[in-house]
Amino acid sequence: MFRALKAAIKGILFYIIYFVLSQLLAPVSTLVPSLQQMIETFFIAYIVLMIVGDLTSGTIYQHFFNAAKALFVIGYLLFSLRGGVFGASFENVSLMVDLRLFLVIAVLLSLLGLAKTVLQAINYMTEKAEITPI
Amino acid sequence: MRIPIRMIGIATTFFWIFLIAFAVTAVYSLKDVQFDFGEPQTGTTADNRLFFSMPIKIFNRGFYDIGYFNVTSQITSGDGAIVASGTTFVPVIRKGEEITTSHMVTVSIGDLLQSNRNYLFNNTELRICESVGMRVAEMIPVQASTNFSVPWGAPLYGFALGAPEYSTYNVTHLRVVVPVSFENHSFFDLAGTVQLRMFNSTGVYAGFGQTSVGARQGSSYDGLVEFYVGASGLTRSGSFEVSFLSSVFNYGPWVIPYG
Repeated sequence: MFRALKAAIKGILFYIIYFVLSQLLAPVSTLVPSLQQMIETFFIAYIVLMIVGDLTSGTIYQHFFNAAKALFVIGYLLFSLRGGVFGASFENVSLMVDLRLFLVIAVLLSLLGLAKTVLQAINYMTEKAEITPI
Repeated sequence: MRIPIRMIGIATTFFWIFLIAFAVTAVYSLKDVQFDFGEPQTGTTADNRLFFSMPIKIFNRGFYDIGYFNVTSQITSGDGAIVASGTTFVPVIRKGEEITTSHMVTVSIGDLLQSNRNYLFNNTELRICESVGMRVAEMIPVQASTNFSVPWGAPLYGFALGAPEYSTYNVTHLRVVVPVSFENHSFFDLAGTVQLRMFNSTGVYAGFGQTSVGARQGSSYDGLVEFYVGASGLTRSGSFEVSFLSSVFNYGPWVIPYG
């Protein structure tokens, strides 16, 4: 019951963040039509993985889902931002945004998240081993 | 082990919040940056080069400074050769700051026409590639570019010499009158001198004449060049070496046969 409540609260919180972000980025979304879809897909997958991870909290599966979440963030950023150089064309004007620095920082942070998940899994297994009666 | 894991979690969350907030506000603040490109102007510089000037006004109402703002123009001919290029660079535009600058590209018409006489006599097109670049929050490079064609009007469009008319001046010399006509399709007024060197069919120099010409942009010129030649060296056919001299450009000589 507590897990479900925690997952629900986190889900709602992330939805609010998504809502605020989409409102802030609305002017840019008119210029880059795929941006809204990109953010939407990211939040859906992230929230699903987060809720499932919270629901399986206290089990080894939680760490699998957390690792999947971290890997998903890395993969999605790399694919959606096309290596960091984002280009779009409107009629005769081509626009290029170089997000490589942003991408590198985001990937490093995701790797830090992945490392944390691995440490959590090791810690979980260690604690399980400690309390296992011989 | 729980404490280090928790510390990593806190640090990661903090950096994520900072990164997302920075990215969103940087993108959001772009809409508050106002660019105003004024009407392009043309004219001639002191060293008789043609210039294209465009005033640019930038009002940065965003949350961050804008760095490395640059506007680059490159004019190329139909065959891809670079005719002229110009860059305007503003190192930093602080938030809340309004700056006005002027983007200028100068073209040496003389060099352009000497390199390709097609520009002198035929209307054609020039390709212009414009790019605007900047670093949002001095960190995220953004560049917009476009290219388009502009018509090039030949300053001596349809230049032609009419058939020379001869009349007796004295016992030894003839008076020669050569009609000259052309249309000035260029975007600048033309004032200069047409010089003719007359050669007979064997290539022997016969005489020289010149006249002042003037044609406003979009208008035509019809005039006469009058000069005197020795009757003995004249033949029914031959050639003129034509040169055009003006403050904007000099061109020639080029050969036009007669007879």
